[in-house]
Amino acid sequence: MRNDGNKAKKKTSISRETRIKEFKESLKEFWSDFKQVKYGIVGLVLLIVFILMMVLEPFIIPFPEAGERWSDITYWIDNPRSAAPAWVNWFSGKKNTVHEFLTEPELQVTDTPQFQVVEAEFNYNYKYDIPPGELTLKALGKGNVVVEAEIIRPDGETINLVRKNFNTRNETEIRIPLGNEAATRIINFGREFESTENSRNVQRHLLKPMEILFSKAQEGILVKPEPLKGDYRINVKAIIVGKDSYIKDPEVVVSGKVFGFLGTDDARRDIWSGIVVGTKWAIFIGLLTAFVSIAVGIMYGVTMAYFGGWVDSLMMRIYEIFVSIPMLPVLVVFSAVFSPSLWTLILFMCVFYWTGPVLTVRSMALQIKEETYIEAAHALNASTGRIIFKHMIPQLIPYAFANMALSVPGAIVAEASISLLGLGDASVVTWGQILHGAMKSSAVLKGLWWWIVPPGLMIALLGMTFAFLGFSMDKILNPKLKTR
Amino acid sequence: MYGQYAIKRIIYAIINYAIIIFILSALFNASMEATLRSQIEEMIQGEFLARDLTGYTVEEINELKALRRDELYRRYHLYDPMIVRVFWRTYDTLTFNLGKSTSVTSSAGERNVSIIVGEAIPKTALLFTVSAFFNILIGIFLGIKKAQKPGGLLDQSTSILTMIVYGMPSWWLGMMLIMFFVYKLNLFPSGGILSTPPPTGFMYYLDILYHMALPVLTMILLRAWGGAYLIRNIVLGTLQEDYIMSARARGIPENRVLYGHTLRSAAPPIVTMSVMSLLTSFGGAIIFEGIFSWPGMGNLYWIALQQNDIPVLLGNLSVTILLYMAGLVLLDLIYGFLDPRIKVGGKK
Repeated sequence: MRNDGNKAKKKTSISRETRIKEFKESLKEFWSDFKQVKYGIVGLVLLIVFILMMVLEPFIIPFPEAGERWSDITYWIDNPRSAAPAWVNWFSGKKNTVHEFLTEPELQVTDTPQFQVVEAEFNYNYKYDIPPGELTLKALGKGNVVVEAEIIRPDGETINLVRKNFNTRNETEIRIPLGNEAATRIINFGREFESTENSRNVQRHLLKPMEILFSKAQEGILVKPEPLKGDYRINVKAIIVGKDSYIKDPEVVVSGKVFGFLGTDDARRDIWSGIVVGTKWAIFIGLLTAFVSIAVGIMYGVTMAYFGGWVDSLMMRIYEIFVSIPMLPVLVVFSAVFSPSLWTLILFMCVFYWTGPVLTVRSMALQIKEETYIEAAHALNASTGRIIFKHMIPQLIPYAFANMALSVPGAIVAEASISLLGLGDASVVTWGQILHGAMKSSAVLKGLWWWIVPPGLMIALLGMTFAFLGFSMDKILNPKLKTR
Repeated sequence: MYGQYAIKRIIYAIINYAIIIFILSALFNASMEATLRSQIEEMIQGEFLARDLTGYTVEEINELKALRRDELYRRYHLYDPMIVRVFWRTYDTLTFNLGKSTSVTSSAGERNVSIIVGEAIPKTALLFTVSAFFNILIGIFLGIKKAQKPGGLLDQSTSILTMIVYGMPSWWLGMMLIMFFVYKLNLFPSGGILSTPPPTGFMYYLDILYHMALPVLTMILLRAWGGAYLIRNIVLGTLQEDYIMSARARGIPENRVLYGHTLRSAAPPIVTMSVMSLLTSFGGAIIFEGIFSWPGMGNLYWIALQQNDIPVLLGNLSVTILLYMAGLVLLDLIYGFLDPRIKVGGKK
């Protein structure tokens, strides 16, 4: 008995080995065919790039918590608002100010019996044509602190910016937007040099303090400012009163007009980080939906073909009902009424996508069913499940892969469409969510192209990748389409 | 024979539609009823404001209100068991009694959902038939050109284009085109169907065409390649038939072989493909129309979503499904007409 069992085991292991060998060979054959299709290779390379983006996510994004804290305003507060990508400067004659942090100032501490004076001097070399959006002074402070700031321009002019009092019981972050706080002083400074006529005609609410601050002190500073390049010094003086009071980590944020690889949106979020975080979701949504729905569709089609008769007719009727529903409108109304999570949305998409391969699979399975080896399996009294899963479905695997690749883009676009309407899962940063933000603050109208182009382009590129893969597989499996 | 086939197909479609509407009614019953209840409250409030209530005490007024509420609930079947309520809702939807909107109104200010949806249908139909017309025209022309020289430069480049735009959202391309053509070049209007105020006479139609240009262009850019690719495959398959070879052997000019023999026998699948692509683009039109503020059914979804108007949303959905299914039936009927093998029906 024991011997027998061992023999049987050996047999199966041998057959498994040969099967693995066969599988390897067929894979090799497929690869040599696949190599011939140029766009297939392009698709493969693109897919690898996308997967790398997904895997290397923590290393290639400047804001590692972008995924979790996408809608957390405090996480993005140091970024400029609606800044263009940094590489815009390469293509434009007028250079935009690059976002910068001025840290490690020259510190000087003077102690007196009543209070302590901390003086910090920041040096800023301004070498652009378009001034920054804002200069923000920030520090951590506690207790009773008076902060004063002045700026000394390269031409020697000094402007007193602010003098502010802070009184806090706990350590808090002090943020002073200098341009905003000192708007009147800076504008008055500008008026000194401007001709009376220009000064009278100009409308005050159109004046930008930063533009005046970084412009040559001459006639026209208000109406047609020319940039004054050179070294600016920002002197910050903090008077600290009381024993427990202190101030530390002073820093000046120069809010650039350009920022990072893809700029920022109008809530200061780094778009590149969002795009990278969205990659994994897009691939996940696309692949999961495609896999589940194709698997269900193939099973459905094979079952129909295998049983035939009334089962076939009934399943055909159900299939007909599903194909006669337009998916996106139902999906939109469903999302509007139930506000689903990402999982529910994927499930719901599968409910509509499984119909894709059914008819083709059914006709293929009808052919396979008539093959002699299926008859042989019947004669050996193989169970229905065994015949379907072991003998019929493996024949359909290549077709399934091609079909799967071609249904991925549809699922990604569907999710993006739902998210664009603001009906998606808001806790997940998908490309559709980013586009929803852009739509909501009318980025098209404002011309913030760096907010709209990248997410849509990524959807299109990922779709293209899978289309390349799917079409090339299709071409290998359907040699009839090659030439006449 | 054909009549029988047609009637059978139509009856099947009607049954399918009823089943779909029943499922949707069951699915969305709760939210629809919540809306209906608040509408009834609103109605009672309105009625009692208009009524002379002097001489009634507060309790009496409340009692009258409760009576009226009771009556209305009975009229709208709100006291019936769940399954009966779903049946009534299905019946109402099937008879186009789509209820009242909560905030969206028709151009005449009416709140009947059927009228609101009805107003949007022709505009959607106009946009989509025009773009489908151009798509089919370009598709057939390009497809035949591709099939003539498979593997040639034109064939390969347009095939690659098909794949490039395969996963591109139409609304995103629309946004891009708006940004470029409207805000950068100032060539086209940013949206809508007519200028304000609308011009009269012949200019009225030109104005519509002018507003239609950008959405139609978007759709052509996205879909024409795919159509051409499918038509190429169909034509290529037909070109391999023996009778084409015999026609060529008989010395029939190539153009006649292509447009006479090949295109004729390839017509049924081409028609299917064209109508199918029209239907799929219609199904995906929700967002597309919203981007161009084209006041059709897609835009209506958008408005209803913004104002959280559930009756309009559901009414619009049921009409969308109806039109979609009608398209499918029409497709089968045309197909059966063009290809006599279909209507005989081998199954049995």
